[in-house]
Amino acid sequence: MTDIGDRESLGELPDPLGLAGIEFVEYATARPQALGRLLEALGFVAVARHRSREVTLYRQGPMNVVVNAHGRAPAGSPEEAHDAPVIAAFALRVRDAAAAYQRALDRGAWAVPVQVQPMELHIPAIHGVASSRIYFVDRWQEFSIYDVDFVPVPGAPRHPESPAGLRWFGLVQYIGNDRTPDWTDFYEELLGFRALPDGQRFGILPKGRVLQSPCGTFYLQLIEPEPGILEVDDRESLARVAFGAPDVLKAVDLLRARGVEFFEAEKLHSDVQGALTKPALHGVTFELVRVPR
Amino acid sequence: MTGGAHAEGNFADFGVDTVSFAGPLPGKLAAARAAGFTQAMLSARELVDHAQGQEAALQAVRASGLRVTGLQVLRDFEGLSGPRHAYKVDVAQAMLELCARAGAKLLLVCSTTSPEADTGIETMARDLRKLAMLAVPLGVKVAYEGLSWGRAINEFPQAWDVVVEADMPNLGIALDSFHALAAHTPIDDLDLLDPDKVFLVQLADFMGEARSGEERLAAGCHFRVFPGEGMHGDALAEWVKRLRAIGYRGDWSLEVFNDDYRQMPVTLVAERARRSAVWLGETVLQRAVPLPHAMRRRP
Repeated sequence: MTDIGDRESLGELPDPLGLAGIEFVEYATARPQALGRLLEALGFVAVARHRSREVTLYRQGPMNVVVNAHGRAPAGSPEEAHDAPVIAAFALRVRDAAAAYQRALDRGAWAVPVQVQPMELHIPAIHGVASSRIYFVDRWQEFSIYDVDFVPVPGAPRHPESPAGLRWFGLVQYIGNDRTPDWTDFYEELLGFRALPDGQRFGILPKGRVLQSPCGTFYLQLIEPEPGILEVDDRESLARVAFGAPDVLKAVDLLRARGVEFFEAEKLHSDVQGALTKPALHGVTFELVRVPR
Repeated sequence: MTGGAHAEGNFADFGVDTVSFAGPLPGKLAAARAAGFTQAMLSARELVDHAQGQEAALQAVRASGLRVTGLQVLRDFEGLSGPRHAYKVDVAQAMLELCARAGAKLLLVCSTTSPEADTGIETMARDLRKLAMLAVPLGVKVAYEGLSWGRAINEFPQAWDVVVEADMPNLGIALDSFHALAAHTPIDDLDLLDPDKVFLVQLADFMGEARSGEERLAAGCHFRVFPGEGMHGDALAEWVKRLRAIGYRGDWSLEVFNDDYRQMPVTLVAERARRSAVWLGETVLQRAVPLPHAMRRRP
């Protein structure tokens, strides 16, 4: 049969990578136990440990978080000075990891050398913002990438449910002044994201530009420094993750009972649209965003 | 601010390119600073050539207190294929990393002179777009300059067409008065440009005429002089005023490749650079008061 693409120009598919959400988010920290306690308060359970390194896999519902005690915050950053955890990577589920990786390199992504990755299983990665990495994972349906590198924690459930019904909503990225167009093109071209219209926002922190993944299941929010500030902190970073919650206020009550503290000020407070946790461990925050179940 | 006896000069947005001076990098930086400049365009070769190594060069740049206008220069990047392209991507990555380490927010890229290059506009635009994409995570802008002896792109309107075709926010154009004057590019062509996409303007005059590509190459690499010292001062002044009129508010860099200056004491040459900057700022652009954007506040 003749391939239609041989006869008629169809253009590139809107989802060139076959994206299917976030496989995991990785934190790097010199204080893995402290971050682990915070994650457990949020409902995560330590389900597995790395065979040879100080890396722990936390899970709740559909979300995986890798806590890597070997990574560090970028040199010279405030996070480094305080030993604060940083988001070191996120992994995208794609149709074909090798193809996604090569496609990104062809368009101007930086390859990450294999030896700096915590996984012994080869997972291709490109450089993201600051010193962070973006992994491409394609073996997420038939078996788990964690089976190779990780040993289950005895007695822990393999697939703990999320007490508050949380799932990945997205990541917030702080960017430098006037850098919104640069990063928009970066995510559009390399990963197939698209910018939402300026009026379309989620949660209680509706700043900046929101990019939607081609699979439609999660978002990246780009935030520049506040205007009018003379001494601007122009550093860029992955600032926080956001969880989607079917009922934000119910989730806030539940998590508060587990010891999570939320911002409750006049200007910024929990409501049906969203909530923000108070900074812990010198700057780690989490956001809740209302999403219909 | 600049300090010292030269603080009265109103030329904070004028910098000097270190290729204009002779001698080791720390002496060049000190001379630029002493002449009242607050910024300097650096050359990658000088950073890696430093007698005590690259780290010492970077330390000298930081210690100078000068703002880094940008880093030059990536050559013959666009239009290559296969192993040649892969090799140039490696070179580009090394230069971008050097930019980040040197605090340079801009990388200068010159139009290709390579006989191997495919000079189709779509190919060149695709490659420059990829280069700019590489620069995004490092926060570097890429400024593409049409060399007047470039193979296919040898005047700024052509370079502009490639930049427009590439359509990448951190990719813009670099202008050089030498190339525009030598190639007799009509001054009205400046009106075609979007001033926000002009990332750098380099300024130099020269003696005589340079009609052929070979003559331009010789004059451009050996016989430039500072603006106000050459034979095209009036044309150069009009050119600068036109750029101001279309809304250009970025950096101006004095880039003077001159064999005589490379065997003169650096302080003398820096003083000539200073006189040129004062002429441009006060006589050509007729500034008398401090620059309105000297205090940088976001709108």
